[in-house]
Amino acid sequence: MRVAKITEEAPLIQTYRLEFVDKKEADEFSFKAGQFAEYGIFGEGECTFCIASAPTREGYIECTFRNTGRVTKALADCEENDIITLRGPFGNSFPIEQWYGKNVVFVTGGIALPPLRCVINTLLDQREKFGEISVYYGAKTVNDLTYKAELDDWANRGDMKLFITVDPGGETPEWKRYIGFVPTILEQNPPESDNAIAIIAGPPILIKLGMPILSKSGFPNNRIFTTLENRMKCGVGKCGHCMVGKTYVCKDGPVFTYEEILKMPVEY
Amino acid sequence: MEIKTINTTNISTFFNQLVQSGKIVIAPVLKKSGKIFFERVQSYNQIETDYIQTAFSAKSVVFPKVEELFSYSKTTDNFETKQSLSDIPETVVWGLRPCDSAAFNYMTRFFMDENPDIYFATRKERTTLIAISCAKSDEACFCTSVGLDPGKTKGSDIQLTLMGNEYYVEVITEKGLSAIKTSESLFTSSTEKSKEKYLAEPTTKFSIEEIKEKMQNAYDNVAWGQESMGCVGCGACAFACPTCTCFDIQDEGTGENGKRIRCWDACGFSQFTKHASGHNPKPNQTARRRQRLLHKFKYSVENIGMVSCVGCGRCIRICPAHLNIFENILNVTKA
Repeated sequence: MRVAKITEEAPLIQTYRLEFVDKKEADEFSFKAGQFAEYGIFGEGECTFCIASAPTREGYIECTFRNTGRVTKALADCEENDIITLRGPFGNSFPIEQWYGKNVVFVTGGIALPPLRCVINTLLDQREKFGEISVYYGAKTVNDLTYKAELDDWANRGDMKLFITVDPGGETPEWKRYIGFVPTILEQNPPESDNAIAIIAGPPILIKLGMPILSKSGFPNNRIFTTLENRMKCGVGKCGHCMVGKTYVCKDGPVFTYEEILKMPVEY
Repeated sequence: MEIKTINTTNISTFFNQLVQSGKIVIAPVLKKSGKIFFERVQSYNQIETDYIQTAFSAKSVVFPKVEELFSYSKTTDNFETKQSLSDIPETVVWGLRPCDSAAFNYMTRFFMDENPDIYFATRKERTTLIAISCAKSDEACFCTSVGLDPGKTKGSDIQLTLMGNEYYVEVITEKGLSAIKTSESLFTSSTEKSKEKYLAEPTTKFSIEEIKEKMQNAYDNVAWGQESMGCVGCGACAFACPTCTCFDIQDEGTGENGKRIRCWDACGFSQFTKHASGHNPKPNQTARRRQRLLHKFKYSVENIGMVSCVGCGRCIRICPAHLNIFENILNVTKA
């Protein structure tokens, strides 16, 4: 894949727009919202991120990642037009067709917005098919929020409810949105659960705290979705790294309902 | 299946003919350390025949410790990759125990299930397993506790059982037939005989059906802490294990050219599940030891319908902390 465009999102966080070098591969490639891929730099290895662009926007895919380890460091060192590798798409996806006519609530934090941004934009590209769309999103500080421009675009659309928050102490003097951890903001502004779907992604702690809050707000457990992201190597259910109990996050997930999560050990 | 016999003089001729056929022959060899390892050999007189179990299993024939997946090299505007599956040689594994053959059977189910693994498939296709039933066992052996026995032929292509001064030969598969083809005159046709009195009698430690049942609720048993206390996370058990299949993927080389390899990994290693953020879903040795044992006795059963332990006892013999898998299992399934 050719790195077509690099966007600085936040400290150490970048979005890469990737285009296929080979046209035939481009034509053969398709993915569904929620699937992930293995992005690699030869000589360094591979790392796993969900595809952050929407499948409704064709011709490229995007990934957003934090420079935090050996491979992501090598990725971060890329310049536009450099070549990186992609294996995928892997895993299951969000059953978006089953959400037509429903309200959809997104809850996420930090670098976990990218996997949901794929879903959010998929919904926005067929906006008329869904009811109210709400997004609860938080980061440590104002500067750590990803997709700052897109968050403003979403706010300006007028057809979405946004609850953007930063952790206490992470606000700037100009900050006019929420201050508080995501679970707190979610509890203080509970979403309407009637005819609604909730999707939560985040650092594991947010998933662990957020799912019960959504459940308590009246969402049935099979209408609360999450996407897990354990350490992975192969992506096809063999290497054993991502196992949560008997479940391989890579091939049985990464998308699970709260109902499924409750049957699994807390190994995520 | 064809039943034959071969006398102990002819067995070495048969072995040497296998070597001469051009196949790679892997057999147990006694090393200076006093331990027995599977190694490539050229002649029957190099091999060890008096042993209970090799220190490591023969799984590396189909799942090498380090295996090249492909090589890569930079071209002007892209990369080119090359697989080298065609270089994988025809191999005969001689003298593995029935538990090890059963482990190949498990690995085949695991690797070929759902997303078939082309590397494993190719190697397995080119491997013939000639097992020798166990005449002796030790206190670490527990095959009869996991549904196997010292004469079980599951997974073997040919199985030999020493009965007095001749080997009883069960030729089980097409591959087995083709392995004896050029040596046919060395064998005598025979009728089915009972091997039982020539076989070892390892102690049965538990009923596998009962353990499978009790493992359902074992996750929260407080005994895991105690049972994993000694574990130093060295991963020796997983490397010695004939059914452990976890692996890591790494690149060897530069950004210009090199190869992508996979190598054995172990769920006992502290980094195995560690996220880039530092968060670790299996944060301590207790969680990791539990994963290992539940995988073998619960998750494998749920995922592919078989226990992924063959009772070979290698993990018990090799563990520097003297952890004992069947004792662990008995203790974490107590109410």
